[in-house]
Amino acid sequence: MSDKKVLICDDDEGILDMLGLILSDSGYQTIPVQNSLQIYEEIKREKPDLVLLDLWMPVLSGDQVLRTLRRSPDTEHLRVIVISASREGERIATEAGADGFLAKPFDLEQLISRVEQVIAA
Amino acid sequence: MDSLNNGEFSFSNDTVKQDLSLLIKALDASLSGVILTDNQQPDNPIIYCNKGFERITGYSRKDIIGHNCRFLQKDDRNQIQRQQLKDAIAKGESIVLEIRNYRKDGSLFWNELYMSPIKDVKGNTCYFIGVQNDISRRKKAEAELEHEKDVMEQRVEERTKSLRENEEYLASIVQTVRESLIVLDPDLTVLSVNSHFLKTFKVSKEETEGQSLYELGNGQWNIPKLKELLEKILPTNNPVEEFEVEHDFPHIGRKLMLLNAHRIELEGHYRDRILIAIEDITDRRDIERRKDDFLSIASHELKTPLTTIKGYVQIMQRLLPKDASEKFKEILAKTGVYVERLNSLIAELLDVSRIQTGNIELHKEPFNFDKTVYEVVENLQAANQSHQIIVKGEATDSFEGDESHITQVINNLLSNAIKYSPDANRVEVYLSRVSNYLKFAVTDYGMGISLDEQKKIFERFYRVGEIQQRFPGMGIGLYICDQIIKNHGGSLWVESEPSKGSTFSFTLPLNERISYE
Repeated sequence: MSDKKVLICDDDEGILDMLGLILSDSGYQTIPVQNSLQIYEEIKREKPDLVLLDLWMPVLSGDQVLRTLRRSPDTEHLRVIVISASREGERIATEAGADGFLAKPFDLEQLISRVEQVIAA
Repeated sequence: MDSLNNGEFSFSNDTVKQDLSLLIKALDASLSGVILTDNQQPDNPIIYCNKGFERITGYSRKDIIGHNCRFLQKDDRNQIQRQQLKDAIAKGESIVLEIRNYRKDGSLFWNELYMSPIKDVKGNTCYFIGVQNDISRRKKAEAELEHEKDVMEQRVEERTKSLRENEEYLASIVQTVRESLIVLDPDLTVLSVNSHFLKTFKVSKEETEGQSLYELGNGQWNIPKLKELLEKILPTNNPVEEFEVEHDFPHIGRKLMLLNAHRIELEGHYRDRILIAIEDITDRRDIERRKDDFLSIASHELKTPLTTIKGYVQIMQRLLPKDASEKFKEILAKTGVYVERLNSLIAELLDVSRIQTGNIELHKEPFNFDKTVYEVVENLQAANQSHQIIVKGEATDSFEGDESHITQVINNLLSNAIKYSPDANRVEVYLSRVSNYLKFAVTDYGMGISLDEQKKIFERFYRVGEIQQRFPGMGIGLYICDQIIKNHGGSLWVESEPSKGSTFSFTLPLNERISYE
């Protein structure tokens, strides 16, 4: 069993639940965040090893979050995988400084291997 | 015949009788009617008439002698000629006139009457001689001519009217169309514009017509792209259609215009005039963009719950108890397949909408083409155990293009190759370089495509008829591939023989690479 913490930020509750289920089944601790405005606080408190970040979220979008994280010395190296259904998702994610990208919908195997990969890197 | 001497009558006592009878015979032989009236008697009675007069009038001598000439007019008494005749008689003058007369049977004839007085030595008018000619036929011809002329004039008038109506009709069409029209003379001076032009560009007829196009509204029509069209393109490519011009007008703002230009090549008055039709597509483009935005959002929103469903289905597959029934496993597997279908339908819908409106944005960056091909093959190979995908040759390790789009094409072509050759066990990919192009070709040994259908498969929503049932889908995959390859300046084609298999190939230009070197 891994003690790695994965913070999941998505405005869609279904995605949060589903990702939480998959990742906890794979032995990760998960922290769901539905409101992206609270993500900085949660990161500060929980100190996750990885963040799974949606892009299209109300008020504060994923790429804004990511850019802010990259600017702060504390979170500059925090591992972030962007998960999005947007067609431009991968480009936006790369430009904002993501460590990985997964297009929605994704394969479970793909998700797990990408998470493992990025955490191990 | 002594009396006829040198063409003149000379009466002598010896021959007077003979001469007179000859003279009467001559008069009777004349086609003209000849009468003499005695002006010395009351009411000027006729005292002589020849045979010609009897023939013309239908009256016989006994009905004629002693009468005044007026009986020929019957009750048609109001002709002005009668007064003229009367005046001439009163003055003792000669006269020629045309008068309506009536035969004995009442029928009309036109009489050309020559009347001349015979005076004595003192100048008194003693007799009148009247020579008549029936000119009815000439009159009739004249009347007919007159009638013809009237008819002609009427026809000309009608034609003119119909022409004018036609012109007005055409003008009203021109004024009604919801497209701006300009007519230019060969020197690019505006000859006329329609009302839609005035409305769209918020100008008046006075400040437009008669002006040079480039000087209109402080030179706001001096647009480089328009200049290029009129001066470079139109002279050699007439007519020009769907020419796009974008321009920021000082008062009305940015306009996106689609132009058709036509230079009149017919000989004559209108030669070398230039007609320009302008369609304002500013709003249409905006709506298309909004539609694309809507579809992007819709597809994003649809994909979100789909992601959850897909995740749960896969979790269920993982959590499947060992003793689960075959039926349950099968249902779960099918659920997964249909979730996948839904996903690709959403993606296709978005693609088609974008391609249709031409709003595909290409993110061109150099990428390793061969590597991309191998990655796609690897993924597909993992998912399809039925076929072995063999890759041969090499194209390039650096192609500048939109990798995700090219990947989509390779994926689509390879999936099709597998899908439509269910009885075969291999699919071959061949990579090569031909001149300054890279070439990708995928060959399957499946059902093949007939020549007729080869032309159509790249059309939108076209599906090869007989396989419609066996292989579900929207029929837009190849259309999208074709558009993507075209957007990259390449071409996509198929060679196939029914029941033997198909080869789909595309080429992409490597020009950009050369320009970097």
